[in-house]
Amino acid sequence: MASLFKVRIHPNPNLASGFSRCHAHAARTPFRLQDPNKLSAYRDRRFPGTQEEYEAALQASTTVYIGNMSFYTTEEQAYELFSRAGEIKKIIMGLDKNSKTPCGFCFILYYSREDAEDAVKYISGTMLDDRPIRADFDWGFEEGRQWGRGRSGGQVRDEYRTDYDPDIL
Amino acid sequence: SNTHSGARTTRPVWCCVVRFTVRASPARRAAHQAGRPQPKTLESSRLPTHPTPLTSPRPAARLAAADAMSAGWRTLLLRIGDRCPEYGGTADHKEHIETCYGVLCREYEHSKDAIFEFLLQCAEQLPHKIPFFGVLIGLINLENEEFAKAIVDTTQANLQDALHTENRDRIRILLRFLSGLMCSKVVAPNSIIEMFETLLSSAATILDEETGNPSWQPRADFYVYCILASLPWGGQELFEQVPDEFERVLVGIQSYIGIRRHFDDIAFSVFETDQGHSPNKKDFMEDLWERIQTLSRNGWKVKSVPKPHLSFEAQLVDGKSHRVSSISCPPPTPSQSSSEILKGQEKHEADLKYPQRLRRLHIFPTNKAENMQPVDRFVVEECILDVLLFFNGCRKECAFYLVSLPVSFRYEYLMAETIFSQLLLLPNPPFKPIYYTLVIIDLCKALPGAFPSVVVGAVHALFDRISNMDTECRTRLILWFSHHLSNFQFIWPWQEWSYVKDLPKWAPQRVFVQEVLEREIRLSYFEKIKQSIEDAAELEELLPPKAGPNFKYHSDESNENNDGHRFSKELVGMIRGKKNTRDIILWAEEHIIPTNGAEFALGVVSQTLLDIGSKSFTHLITVLERYGQIISKLCPNEEMQLLLMDEIGAYWKNSTQMTAIAIDRMMGYRLLSNLAIVKWVFSSANVDQFHISDRPWEILRNAVSKTYNRISDLRKEIQSLKKGLQVAKEVSAKAAKELEEAKSVLEIVEGQPAPAERPGRLRRLEVHADKAKQEEITTEESLEAKGALLVRALEESKELLKLLFKSFVDVLTERLPPVSADGEIPNLRAGDLNVNFAAPETATMEIDNENGADNSSEPNGQSSKNGYNVGELEQWCLCTLGYLKSFSRQYATEIWSHITMLDEEVFAGDIHPLIRKAAFSGLCRFPSEGSHL
Repeated sequence: MASLFKVRIHPNPNLASGFSRCHAHAARTPFRLQDPNKLSAYRDRRFPGTQEEYEAALQASTTVYIGNMSFYTTEEQAYELFSRAGEIKKIIMGLDKNSKTPCGFCFILYYSREDAEDAVKYISGTMLDDRPIRADFDWGFEEGRQWGRGRSGGQVRDEYRTDYDPDIL
Repeated sequence: SNTHSGARTTRPVWCCVVRFTVRASPARRAAHQAGRPQPKTLESSRLPTHPTPLTSPRPAARLAAADAMSAGWRTLLLRIGDRCPEYGGTADHKEHIETCYGVLCREYEHSKDAIFEFLLQCAEQLPHKIPFFGVLIGLINLENEEFAKAIVDTTQANLQDALHTENRDRIRILLRFLSGLMCSKVVAPNSIIEMFETLLSSAATILDEETGNPSWQPRADFYVYCILASLPWGGQELFEQVPDEFERVLVGIQSYIGIRRHFDDIAFSVFETDQGHSPNKKDFMEDLWERIQTLSRNGWKVKSVPKPHLSFEAQLVDGKSHRVSSISCPPPTPSQSSSEILKGQEKHEADLKYPQRLRRLHIFPTNKAENMQPVDRFVVEECILDVLLFFNGCRKECAFYLVSLPVSFRYEYLMAETIFSQLLLLPNPPFKPIYYTLVIIDLCKALPGAFPSVVVGAVHALFDRISNMDTECRTRLILWFSHHLSNFQFIWPWQEWSYVKDLPKWAPQRVFVQEVLEREIRLSYFEKIKQSIEDAAELEELLPPKAGPNFKYHSDESNENNDGHRFSKELVGMIRGKKNTRDIILWAEEHIIPTNGAEFALGVVSQTLLDIGSKSFTHLITVLERYGQIISKLCPNEEMQLLLMDEIGAYWKNSTQMTAIAIDRMMGYRLLSNLAIVKWVFSSANVDQFHISDRPWEILRNAVSKTYNRISDLRKEIQSLKKGLQVAKEVSAKAAKELEEAKSVLEIVEGQPAPAERPGRLRRLEVHADKAKQEEITTEESLEAKGALLVRALEESKELLKLLFKSFVDVLTERLPPVSADGEIPNLRAGDLNVNFAAPETATMEIDNENGADNSSEPNGQSSKNGYNVGELEQWCLCTLGYLKSFSRQYATEIWSHITMLDEEVFAGDIHPLIRKAAFSGLCRFPSEGSHL
């Protein structure tokens, strides 16, 4: 409770380096301050455009990326939780590209931007299926993104994930 | 973002620090600061990377100075009054102000403009620290009168703007700020009095039948509330410095309270007494006025408001007090008409515009809740609501400020009551209920030793009174509680509630437990929740069946020759063989319908498709997207749609969630109409469930809210298309003009006039003009299309409302006990012995409750455990009436716009008075209104 501001330390060197491409100073600043209008440090490195286009896509997106989920969490569980932020249009489960089984992330598509914002604000860092999940804006779902990208075929974050993820709190 | 007036839409003040600290790309920084003086103190505004824990002992003063140097003036302004490392961990207010003032002085020359803006922002967004900002400005006033005068003038201008744009939070906070400035001798007390008088006279004008419009009393009440709310922050100074004028204002308020209409809040009360009244005998204005009168009797001493100016009195007294220019209030909205209906509509509009911020909820018994003065309760409540407002979306800061308000007493119980009162606020809380869920979770983590037990106490207290709780609030409580428990390993002392399994299955407490367990399972899974109630194994019978499909045509040896099974198998084969929908429709029409009939065909096809889509939400959507047309073909009318829902209900009889999702999606694909869904919900099998399960209600809520979500989406789209069309028109006109101009430039070539412009450019301009015109036409067309969709949607919604209320009236009329011959309205709770005999002075009274807010005859926890004696029929009626009220309150705006039709076609004739009361109280309409044809 000591800090007034949310301090985000990058635990993930990959994300941080992707981020620092356009924020040359960010790498020297070892922390970021949370503000509700700020976009998250999560950066999809496969986004085809520039940083500005990426941010514009995030600002308008109604898609939310959910990470750090249990492999056993079902779409219906996610539906029950995320529909409390608004009416859900679609759920896309992240699948392991080898086994085609859920691998700990999903995309929730809302109908309205406001609901997507509320999902990020109010659900990120809370528990789903006994795991603290993380919710971030995403630039929009495209076919192919449901497959995990890690070397093992799972979610990138899986490879070093722990039960408790300090990044989301 | 200057065009936004609402506090919620302006950029939060702490972002300013972010802006300078994160070091965004130069372009973005420039954009942020356009029109602002460039701050020269970038380096000094960085926050420390490793905040020191609050408890660490440190020699405060010396280190404080060093920390202050590195923290920067912005951070110091933000953190003033907080026990924090920037101020060396002390809470000495005098020292905070001296340190901060010292740094401001040092930076003043460089950053005068930035300091000016930031101070104003801080005052508006950290309003509980206004006394500190007031003193700082007071000290600056001693050195630089112009600065302080500009603060006063700008604040006056902002207040004026807020009054006209009806920005409620801003009006309230700026009045407090001006009071704070008065305490530090920056504002003349007479100016405050003058402002109060302006507001008061505007309020009185609104109430006047001739010159004003009493329908807008909510606005008048709001003005007076703002005056009263600012008195804890400056009442003492007014009393000392301008006693006569102040007395005049108070007399004015007294007479205002005398002429205004009492607000009967039964429509918005979380609890109802057994006689169907609101337990709150005083409305919020009467209550606040009493608190302020008590404060006046106590010599205007407020414990909950910091008084840092007292430590600087000797200096501040030399300051020049500035006059605040007069303000004006918008003229009263004239009454449109004298008709009762239009007046009701106006009143509804006014209530929406000036909603009550808080409806106090008394949860805890006196001996538990904190002992504090009535006014302190009000001040702390306001502070909590402001933190919730301004720190929405910033979890850590929100929790930090909630637990560390600068008051000298504990307030965990009050905080819990305030947050629960927001969660349960009717008609709607300012934020989605899930926000309060998060806040409660965070407070449990921030105060692990104190808050969780307070929450447990609140749940028990609310549970004990659940049968008197508003239906909508019950639903919110169920959703909150299940979600809350899911964040704390589903640990709950269920054995304390195991007695509910002996209650009749319609007893509200039993239904509550059953629905919480249902929602817990949805968030988790069956075995897990079953395990969580291990200590109360009796409750297992309240668990829903283990979810799983119930496929009528499940194949096994015995039924191979059965027609249904055979067809189902064939259909699966066709889908595996990637046959298209047309072929499948033909197959059904040729092979099933002629021999077995259309209904049978629908049964086989819908069950089989549901089974193929049963694996997950996405499977269901995929099946509906690919094969929905088959269902659509087989369900050409409402009767068939009703059968389709029967099939869904049968297939998913073990999963309420999947039943609701399937119906919801089919409505989304227009396979089911909202009217058909309403009819199905009000069909007898579902009506029998009304009082024992949320299942039919969830489906009904989904259908109605989907209808209105669609309308609101369309309205938004049309709004943005209109803007787009405007832009397209301008672009197109400009392009056309440019082309014309280029064409008109002629030159004489070989004695003949010829275009002077290069052909290349002309062609380009032509293409551009064509493109712009095309864009304009396209936008216009989509606007027309959306407009047509909206018209259709509105027409559908009108039909929906009519059917919805007609259905309520029909089922209730059939079942309600009749009004007796001498006109006595039946008391549905008469069978409840608790009501009739067990109403001793309960422990729900409160210390500050001399105003008698909530000393009703709630059955307390003990008596409700003795049994529940409301009969099944009576409980069915109570429950259905509760939902009727809830729907009419939720959709009041839409209902008011169709009220004439509803009065003529639904509420006409000899309607049971209890039905009329429920429907009308949701609309805040007197039961006597409307037609009695």
